[in-house]
Amino acid sequence: MFFDSLVYLLFFPAVWLVYQFVPDRQRWIVLLVASIAFYTALRAPVLLLSWAGVVVVSYYCGRAIARKPEGIERTRLLWFGIVANIGVLCAVKYLHPFLEFIHPAFANNPAFSNLFLTLGVSYYTLQSISYLADIYCEIVEPEQHFGRFALYLGFFPKLLQGPIERAGDLLPQLSLPYHASYENLRRGVLLFAWGLFLKVAVANRLATYVGLVYEDVHAHSGIAFILTTYMYAIQILADFSGYTNMALGVALLFNIRLTQNFNSPYSARSVADFWRRWHISFSRWILDYVFKPLQMGWRNAGVWGTVGALLVTFTFSGLWHGASWNFAVWGLLHGVFLAASVLFKPGLDRAFGTIGLRDHPIRRVVQVVVTFNLVAFAWIFFRANSLSDAGYIVTHLFSGVSDYVILDQGDVKFASLVLALCVMFGVNFLRTRVRLSRQPLLVRWSLYYLLILAIAHLGIYNGVGFVYLQF
Amino acid sequence: MINSDLKQTILGALKLEDWDLKDETTAAEVPGWDSLHHVNVILAVEKQFGVKFKNLEVLKLKSVGDLQRLLDSKISSR
Repeated sequence: MFFDSLVYLLFFPAVWLVYQFVPDRQRWIVLLVASIAFYTALRAPVLLLSWAGVVVVSYYCGRAIARKPEGIERTRLLWFGIVANIGVLCAVKYLHPFLEFIHPAFANNPAFSNLFLTLGVSYYTLQSISYLADIYCEIVEPEQHFGRFALYLGFFPKLLQGPIERAGDLLPQLSLPYHASYENLRRGVLLFAWGLFLKVAVANRLATYVGLVYEDVHAHSGIAFILTTYMYAIQILADFSGYTNMALGVALLFNIRLTQNFNSPYSARSVADFWRRWHISFSRWILDYVFKPLQMGWRNAGVWGTVGALLVTFTFSGLWHGASWNFAVWGLLHGVFLAASVLFKPGLDRAFGTIGLRDHPIRRVVQVVVTFNLVAFAWIFFRANSLSDAGYIVTHLFSGVSDYVILDQGDVKFASLVLALCVMFGVNFLRTRVRLSRQPLLVRWSLYYLLILAIAHLGIYNGVGFVYLQF
Repeated sequence: MINSDLKQTILGALKLEDWDLKDETTAAEVPGWDSLHHVNVILAVEKQFGVKFKNLEVLKLKSVGDLQRLLDSKISSR
């Protein structure tokens, strides 16, 4: 039951309706049952078991940590919780490669493919680790209510692709009394619809063109690679921010505010700035729970300690996305970009400062363009099916004009892509300048109907999955 | 109450002329006190006062007051 399916479009309104009529004290049960039903619909018993295991272990571990005074036992409990969560993550992620090694016939039998789904595990295990670490650092108190804790980890709008929620942000909201809010209903549905548009009209369309090239790299060269690399940069933004909008929108129907995951990432002026704007809940996680401990542990090595911490953190980030070399290289590339920034940016800023150009508008534009290109270049490794494919693309980026021409691809018309992109950029431009809620009723409702039309007519429904679902 | 030596050490590490550092001041409120410079602050404090912090002790700090109290406990247990 994925977010862009008809079943989901029926599911969440049904849950919302039931939610209205249940007494406040039992509302958490509605959401928890809905979340379990949502996860069960995947027909993946391994996933349900691993989620249940993480919930039980983390719930009791969190309470045990809080009860212990400062000392070695408290630290050991934290490490136990962290190792247990990472163990579950690795076990689920590596079950298929492991079985493929010892019993390929079983592992590759399509009848058992549901046993190897990994949906959601990467997200709630990280969320659980952050919960335990925050209890250890006395940032939050452990949740005493088992049901609410299970809901905190399994809340269906964010179950499959995040955001990774901090205990201090989400847990208190699950205990608040619910008062139906027309404003949240309106904004939630609008957010969901906008996210759906981004996914089906922009991301799915772009995926068709990108797929043509990336599935058969040796048949293309030069301009095709450059074009599809830029297209992929937009595709992945539309895909993931589309999903996030849908998640935030549905959560808002229940008066729950999930974390913003995106903040105009391609207007970043540096790679560090990019990571403050892209997949924000994940980058905050790796900053707080991987980078800072490493950097602090290596502080006596000065700036090289920071460089080392960045390289390790972002290689970890790459491997979290996928256990293959191209993801590791993608992560490492970002680590290298950030390390270079730490080493050279202060000097560059000083040099530009002495000639009075440090904050000059042209310099800012150049920074945005350079950052976007660095990030787009790294996406090549993220999208490519293998390291050798990525290597081929990178070494043939400027190999001239090939015979790749953007044509209408069957039902996928190029003009529709241009229209969808215009809508996407237009709305993003206007959102910060115009308050929709302050417009006259006729204007607002015309726009709502136009959005529904856009979803229906520009949407591509060819079963292209969400990109971040695979992580 | 933040000790003036600690205050000067922090300001020196952040290359700030002056800033009102109170017990409840957090890093986010002080210009330039980001994750990259936080390490410099901790190193400067360790060097100035001749103490060594454990990683987990530092990671738990939430305010300048927490840092002051951690420092005091290190000095008094010498």
